[in-house]
Amino acid sequence: MATVLAAEGLSKKFGDLVAVNDVSFEIAEGETFGLLGPNGAGKTTSISMVAGLLEPDGGAVHVNGTTIRTRSTAGRSDIGLVPQELAIYPDLTAEENLRFFGRLYEMTGPELAKRTEEVLEVIGLTDRKDDLTKEFSGGMQRRLNIGIGLLHRPRLLILDEPTVGVDPQSRNAILESVEELSGQGIAVLYTTHYMEEAERLCDRVAIIDEGVIKAEGTRRELVALVGQKDRIRVAMTGDVAEVARIAAQLVGVDEASPSDSGIDVLATDASKLLPELLACVSSTGASVSAVEVFEPNLEAVFLHLTGKALRD
Amino acid sequence: MGAATRIAGKDLKLRLRDRSAFIIGIITPLALAYIFHLVFGNVFASETLDLQVGLVDLDRSEISLSLGEVLAEIESQGILEVTDFDDAAGADGAVEDGDLGAYILLGPGLGDAAIAGSPFTIQVVGDIDAQTTTQVATAIASEFGSGIGRAQLSVATAVHVGGGPPPADVVTWGQEAALRPPAYIFSDVTAETRQLDAPTFFAAGMAVFFLLFTVQFGVLGVLEEEENGTLARLLAAPIVRRSVVMGKALLSFALGVISMTVLIVATHYLMGARWGPVLGVAVLVVTGVLAATSIMGVIASVGKSAEGAANLGAIVAVTLGMLGGTFFPIGQGNDLLSRLTYITPHAWFIRGLSEISGGGEWTAALPSAGALLVIALVLGLVAWFLLQRRLSR
Repeated sequence: MATVLAAEGLSKKFGDLVAVNDVSFEIAEGETFGLLGPNGAGKTTSISMVAGLLEPDGGAVHVNGTTIRTRSTAGRSDIGLVPQELAIYPDLTAEENLRFFGRLYEMTGPELAKRTEEVLEVIGLTDRKDDLTKEFSGGMQRRLNIGIGLLHRPRLLILDEPTVGVDPQSRNAILESVEELSGQGIAVLYTTHYMEEAERLCDRVAIIDEGVIKAEGTRRELVALVGQKDRIRVAMTGDVAEVARIAAQLVGVDEASPSDSGIDVLATDASKLLPELLACVSSTGASVSAVEVFEPNLEAVFLHLTGKALRD
Repeated sequence: MGAATRIAGKDLKLRLRDRSAFIIGIITPLALAYIFHLVFGNVFASETLDLQVGLVDLDRSEISLSLGEVLAEIESQGILEVTDFDDAAGADGAVEDGDLGAYILLGPGLGDAAIAGSPFTIQVVGDIDAQTTTQVATAIASEFGSGIGRAQLSVATAVHVGGGPPPADVVTWGQEAALRPPAYIFSDVTAETRQLDAPTFFAAGMAVFFLLFTVQFGVLGVLEEEENGTLARLLAAPIVRRSVVMGKALLSFALGVISMTVLIVATHYLMGARWGPVLGVAVLVVTGVLAATSIMGVIASVGKSAEGAANLGAIVAVTLGMLGGTFFPIGQGNDLLSRLTYITPHAWFIRGLSEISGGGEWTAALPSAGALLVIALVLGLVAWFLLQRRLSR
């Protein structure tokens, strides 16, 4: 996959405060990359430099090979920005908002009209396109906020905490929209302090705190980095001690122990082990009533790397 | 420039939609100008255009009759209206009835006394409610009396130095000296050509006063974009940063020109305001709007928030409006104020208008327009620099 975004050694200071220090990452075509960190970690400063809103004190940003500078418009058309705050005009309709920003990206005439209709369809606001956006629910406004960022078909879409303050239903709709973007070949830079969003959406995640990237990789790579294991809990009736003893001998099982209602198994990769484990349980004549898989999450990784919880 | 016009167009649509600019830029100044005109218009008009002066000549000599000729000359210039009375009782009655502001009484024997070099008396009787008319009548009587005094002095000097001319010549000299035109010439420059009439003054005052409020809808939009979060989206777009500031300034300019144009046309037809030559007014409007935009641009660049900047803008607008004489001619108060008034665009705008509204050439507005342009350029550069720096933070 071709690299769409290359951020190299980005640094930014505000007075004596070092907001971002030597941050580097790359995002390929069709990849969703997450910047996971608590409020004040340096996420927004990082994406502001990527979007060309802030000039880095050090380092550089390249989008499709073009260096992004605050005083230049080069490369801007390849970037779509969805700011954390709602960046829409409440006294314009949904369609007027889209058309205004489309014109800023040199879209005109039938092309703009067609693309506006497409985006309204994608964000589910076709029926409300002529309504002033101040009459929209928070979720609808959020969807429009994302739609504006998508309008000009950017190669890199930057989403800065797009689900903050959104109801669960709209939040799910937003996450589904983002999931579809990678299928369209768009590189997505997604910042969040919600661990579950990063886990669901991102192919790779960088954990950022105090302006520094602490670790970067896939979820599994990050978990492995700190030695966390998957946990499988099998509820059953039968000789649980015997089942635990046999399960402990399976390849990939680190530990198996009986519990009140069944057995608990610690493994490196639960998804690979599960079919073999269930076959093993069945072979002992035990009857399985429920299976739960607990994968180690990024919250635990973050806690391990920074010594604090994501929502601190 | 394309991005700037798109931004200005979008903002214009927003302003038209929320009607705030329409109310502040047109309805309010028009209503206030009309109210001021109704309340104060007659006061202005009665004291400047309706001077009723009477003359009671009980002497009927050649010298006393010459005052009647002087008054007739002034009347022919349209400055005052003169009525002759046979006796003081008739003139007193006219003053009491309010038909006369003041009258001049020339008693019997004035001509003889003047020729003989004796003291004489000229009386002025005025209505206490018509002080301007009384002062004008007093000034005329005083100058007439001085003229006779100068003649008496000339004759006395000639007699003393030359040993005495023939008595017939003395009489002739005295009459000629008394009848000689006064050293001053009455001209209605102040009333007609250098001072705005009441409807024009109030219309112009309110228009330029509210101009600062109107243009703030443009440039303060930078702060609103900042607060709404849309500024980040504008700055991330493939447009040069100055387009954002240009767009806001463009809207300020458009709103200012539209508001002033509507007010000028409306007050002309509704209140009879006389604005003067179109070209001169246009030059003043354009430079005045530029100056107002620059002032509000500076305020936008230092404002912490849109609301805070709007409040600061209101304070500045009211202060400059008062100082600039949009409500009353504050510059006549004292020397310091008369100097300070010209730091405001309001004073220059009204001054420029005063030069052209009474029939002057449009070019008479150019000095004031030049001053407005200087204000616009100096403050505009400051605002431009500060706003660009603000966007780069």
